[in-house]
Amino acid sequence: MPIVEAKALTKVFRRPDKGPGLGGSVKHLFARRFTDKVAVDHVDLSIEAGEAVAYVGPNGAGKSTTVKLLSGILVPTSGEVRIDGLHPQRDRMTVAHRIGVLFGQRTQLWWDLPVAESLAVLRDLYGIDRATYRKRLARFDEVLALGEILPVMGRKLSLGQRMRADLAAALLHAPRVVYLDEPTIGLDLAVKDRVREFFRSVRDEGTTVMLTSHDLADIEGFCRRLVIIDEGRIIFDGDLEAVKDRFARERILHIETARPAPLETLRASLPGAEVTVEDTPVRYAVRFDRFAMTAGQVVTALAGLAELVDIRVDEPSIEDVIRRVYSGELVLG
Amino acid sequence: MRGYRALIRATARAALAYRFNLLLGLGGVLMQLVALLAVWRVILADSPVNGFTWPQMRAYLLVAFAAGTVVSIMGDFRMAFRILDGDVALDLVKPIDYQRARFAEALGGLWIEVVLIAVVVGIAMALTGGVDVPAAPGLALFAVSMLVLVPLKFLIVYVSTLACFWTQNFMGVQWARLAVVNLFSGALIPLAYLPGWLAGAAQWSPFAGLTSTPALIFLGRVDGRHALVLVAVQAGWVLALWFGARLVWQRALRRLTVNGG
Repeated sequence: MPIVEAKALTKVFRRPDKGPGLGGSVKHLFARRFTDKVAVDHVDLSIEAGEAVAYVGPNGAGKSTTVKLLSGILVPTSGEVRIDGLHPQRDRMTVAHRIGVLFGQRTQLWWDLPVAESLAVLRDLYGIDRATYRKRLARFDEVLALGEILPVMGRKLSLGQRMRADLAAALLHAPRVVYLDEPTIGLDLAVKDRVREFFRSVRDEGTTVMLTSHDLADIEGFCRRLVIIDEGRIIFDGDLEAVKDRFARERILHIETARPAPLETLRASLPGAEVTVEDTPVRYAVRFDRFAMTAGQVVTALAGLAELVDIRVDEPSIEDVIRRVYSGELVLG
Repeated sequence: MRGYRALIRATARAALAYRFNLLLGLGGVLMQLVALLAVWRVILADSPVNGFTWPQMRAYLLVAFAAGTVVSIMGDFRMAFRILDGDVALDLVKPIDYQRARFAEALGGLWIEVVLIAVVVGIAMALTGGVDVPAAPGLALFAVSMLVLVPLKFLIVYVSTLACFWTQNFMGVQWARLAVVNLFSGALIPLAYLPGWLAGAAQWSPFAGLTSTPALIFLGRVDGRHALVLVAVQAGWVLALWFGARLVWQRALRRLTVNGG
């Protein structure tokens, strides 16, 4: 049985339809008009226990709304959600013990209390015994270096410290399912690395993770499954590596030669690749399909024609693929 | 229960973070109380009005101040801002009842309000002379009425703050509540000063329990059966509002749109 299941999940928000300026606002007082905005449109999703799912989409696509529906925060307009077979509104208390939620833009720490006290409140709310609590804190400390921030007041935390503390807060009760909504937003690279390492340790313990992020580096090497949402609809749901193999198969080899080389000769030696001159006449870019030829073959062919001073290979990331999907250039599935 | 106790403790500690605000607020509140005392002293200097003598009015104002300070510092603005910025989303994924959790927070802030009341009432009494304390049965009933006031005040604040789910604005809700509460509770002027029909309506409203009931009992203006009825009305409203608030909350959840992603 899937641990998270959504069937024809739909959320419609009603927005007041006001004209511009004060006149529009006054008119709205007397003749109320609303437009319906469909934020999530018949989403079907089924996540098995232990899966790590990346949930991506452009701004306003309905990602956060889906997460709020799947965690029982919002009541769906139609369709249904089951968490471990339970109804998130009817069984709110039981479901709360099984899910953990992190919204990167929000904090659940107390502003006026040290982090340690905020975590202690959560310990009591979730009824975690003291020995288990200490064990979990020690484990979080290994990856998140919590120790140094435990005595700091919530309001004095830097963004990176806050996110580390919030991650601990979201996972303290060892939930079976974790929703991470933009968990690395605004973090510097060192903290991002640490946070990503923490995600991996959580996943490796068998926790089901649904990760929403604009930073696709969060997803690569972490999630096996990719779900893309656009305008409230799921437009792709499948294996992340398969998408990369299919759409991110192109490689670009950048070379620098000692002296300008004849472009025609280079092109003739590499049929099937595309050779272009870059900013200076000694730099070239060779675009090729990694399933048609290897980087080694390209280098060998070029080395016979010119003296290579420098080489570098660019690999398109899943980011490029998804950017092309957003812009409508690429249709997956 | 352990979770709610933790919330009470945490709010009690967090309340300390506001101690400087409180000290500043204390000055303002004290000025207002002194001004009210001064005005009534002049009005009642020669003869009682509507049966209130100057010493009685002094006691009334002090009780009104105490009743007004209880459940007024912590809680409502925090809850309102969590609803308005959508942080309420995080409250909804906790394994606790939302209403009880907010009540626990109100209880956590109580101690600092009691300290504030003790300081202000002490200063006011030192400046204007003491008050007559009622006889034992009256005093006991006054204490009960003050205790019932805590959940009553919480519920009125709680239900009105839930209005933020609809209004998207807190200041307006707070001002409207203060205007209604000040008039109908007898906090501004004793209900006996209102026109008869309004005083009658106010007396049976949930608001009378916020000031008028404990103050009248303390003054000994009501006693015996009448006083018991007033406290029963107070307690009746607590029950009605506790369950009524749950219905409002159910509807509010359906209204919830979480702002800002």
